[in-house]
Amino acid sequence: MTIDSDSFLTALRLSDSFLPVGGYTASYGLEQYVNEGRIGDGDDLRALLAGYLRRVVGPCETVALANAHDASSSDDLDQLLEVDARLHAVTMPSEFRESSTKAGAKLCELLAGTEEDLASVDVRTGLRQKFATRIDAGETPGHYPVVFGVVAQSRGLPRLEACLSHAYSFVTGLLGAAQRLGRFGHTEIQRVLGDLESVVVEICDRHVDDDATAMASFAPLAEIMGMRHERAGRRLFMS
Amino acid sequence: MGYRDVAKIGIGGPVGSGKTALVRRLVPELVDEGYEVGVIANDIMTQEDADVFRESFGDLLPADLVEGVETGACPHTGIREDPSMNLAAIDEFTERHPDLDVVIVESGGDNLAATFNPELADYFLFVISVAEGEDIPRKRGPGVTQADLLVVNKTDLAPYVDADLEVIESDAADVRGDDPFVFTNCKDGTGVDEVLEHVDREVLFA
Ligand SMILES: Nc1nc2c(ncn2[C@@H]2O[C@H](COP(=O)(O)OP(=O)(O)OP(=O)(O)O)[C@@H](O)[C@H]2O)c(=O)[nH]1
Ligand SMILES: [Mg+2]
Repeated sequence: MTIDSDSFLTALRLSDSFLPVGGYTASYGLEQYVNEGRIGDGDDLRALLAGYLRRVVGPCETVALANAHDASSSDDLDQLLEVDARLHAVTMPSEFRESSTKAGAKLCELLAGTEEDLASVDVRTGLRQKFATRIDAGETPGHYPVVFGVVAQSRGLPRLEACLSHAYSFVTGLLGAAQRLGRFGHTEIQRVLGDLESVVVEICDRHVDDDATAMASFAPLAEIMGMRHERAGRRLFMS
Repeated sequence: MGYRDVAKIGIGGPVGSGKTALVRRLVPELVDEGYEVGVIANDIMTQEDADVFRESFGDLLPADLVEGVETGACPHTGIREDPSMNLAAIDEFTERHPDLDVVIVESGGDNLAATFNPELADYFLFVISVAEGEDIPRKRGPGVTQADLLVVNKTDLAPYVDADLEVIESDAADVRGDDPFVFTNCKDGTGVDEVLEHVDREVLFA
């Protein structure tokens, strides 16, 4: 696989924790696992995140992202709205939906303010602008993976690489959260990250070509944790 | 309407220095002056903080203008590197209350290095307490030196912690240069008027 330098930089930019879209406030239930003493060491963390990747990020978010990317290349707003609605429906805990839609709106807004220079697409009249308008109007939730897919496509980042960037940043986001929540050494965290790389590749390969109608999650414990988090006594994270 | 359309006041400072106490003193005054005010608390157990605020303000503020925003165990990231979730909360305020005039954002208690992102706060107050040690100002933490207004709170406690207010005053004058600082006792309200004068002059009439 070869991608051009601009796309490569887009991938880096979108998967960098430097991107100010509030990713550091989301734990997607991880805080609740920690609150309930279910995460003791790096092995627990690795197992948990591998589960998230295989059951949520792969079959839901990656499918949504890849289909949003497709919809963006074919300039198909209806398909994009359909993908967004589906992701909303399969994301059970309300705080997961909230973290995702807030970040989605911020990514839209951020790029709208900084991308007037982008010559390759007419961002003002293009699909992204129409989608942003629908999000603003509250007519579509605007989930992060969906916005991510559109942004990646409009900047020339290919579909699989976009999925890899997103899945990777999901993992680093949660590992960062784990580090702030619990006691994990920085080398241990990096080891877990290294171990999970193959899972990131595996789930992106498996789901990048899935049809939007295949979107589904099966992660009951994670979802219960996400819901219990709403009533947690100690909350450092939004989800 | 969005976060750019309201005046935003950031209140930072170490844990327990009196940030919440100051907010509770300021809000009734601002409401009395006729402003519509919103309050955001960033903290551990933010919802509990927000509930405490809601109760203490009673009828002064609508409950939906008081919000807790979690900051992922990074209070300084929330007000500095990545304030997007605070700005999103302010956007929600302005959507519900288009006439909103001013939002106060109380940072979670942090260290002396925490400063507000200028996009989040038009005006930044840093609250320290004399009980944290009389040497705090001369450590020249970015919060102390860069804030628009330095508030030195809990003057009533000075005698009990061997803190010399004159030393604090001369150190503060030294590190602040021409920038203002105010002594307060948020327990009985002393000095709060002076804080309010700065806020009125620098933020609301600006
Ligand atoms: N004696 C005295 N006590 C004060 C004063 N201001 C605040 N306090 C008390 O100090 C304690 C901490 O005050 P808060 O206002 O909660 O401090 P804070 O900076 O908001 O604390 P965090 O949000 O936890 O960082 C409370 O018990 C207050 O009642 C003061 O001027 N004098
Ligand atoms: Mg407080």
